[in-house]
Amino acid sequence: MKVSELAKALDLKVITDKGFADREIKSCYVGDLLSWVMGRAGQDSVWITIMSNVNIVAVAALVDMACILLAEGVAIDEEVIKKADSQGIIILSTDKNSYEAAIAVHKAAAI
Amino acid sequence: MKELSLHILDIVQNSIKAGAKNIEIIINESTADNLMTIEINDNGSGMSKEFLKKVKDPFVTTRTTRKMGMGISLFEAAAVQCGGGLDIESELGVGTKVKASFELMSIDRAPLGDMAETMMTIISGSPEPEYLYRHTKDGKVFELDTVQLKEILGDVPLDMPEVLSWITGYIKEGLAELNI
Repeated sequence: MKVSELAKALDLKVITDKGFADREIKSCYVGDLLSWVMGRAGQDSVWITIMSNVNIVAVAALVDMACILLAEGVAIDEEVIKKADSQGIIILSTDKNSYEAAIAVHKAAAI
Repeated sequence: MKELSLHILDIVQNSIKAGAKNIEIIINESTADNLMTIEINDNGSGMSKEFLKKVKDPFVTTRTTRKMGMGISLFEAAAVQCGGGLDIESELGVGTKVKASFELMSIDRAPLGDMAETMMTIISGSPEPEYLYRHTKDGKVFELDTVQLKEILGDVPLDMPEVLSWITGYIKEGLAELNI
């Protein structure tokens, strides 16, 4: 499943540039301790987290994730969005908590 | 907590509850040493040796003193998580010093957050104590001292909306000059 398809299926808010380069999602990872996520999340994954500081962009870029999915509608600074856009990182948002979001991703993307 | 300023707010509330007349918030960032330290010093009622021993333990302290103490263990966890730690010194009738250190560049270090809003919240909630906020970054210093401020203001109270808004702006500008 592509990121755009997931966003549509789960009715996710696209926080970063709407005209993003679409890509295939291969896996999903849930976690909030950035150093831990960095070593464990897979390439092309959807990363579900409640962290929203600028370092999440660095983690997503380093791991080459498909996108970040912010859970529980957490607030994010404009500065972080700009950084993500400059790095080509897609950030989506949902009001669901991480557990509910992971289930929804599983159901929609069959991963 | 998602921002370190929320920890600062929490610890300062402890100082206020302990009846402190003077509260210092001292932040130091050194890129060369990859180190950030946050100190909160007060001259409040202080803690007994027995209490100090268990103040970092969230289970013991929450049970006996409700909320107080939990803040210390959360602050410590935030510091340990990014290669730092927390020291606390206290003496009954003298005061308490809390010092947390962080690896400045650690990916797990929460951002500092909005110190201008934090100081405004503290001062508007409790304008009685004197506050010294000193922020050093790579040798450059910003300082807000309510003792000096009160000398200039005379009878005008610190918690007047115009004064609070001035303080917020002053901190924002001062920190911007340090690239914070």
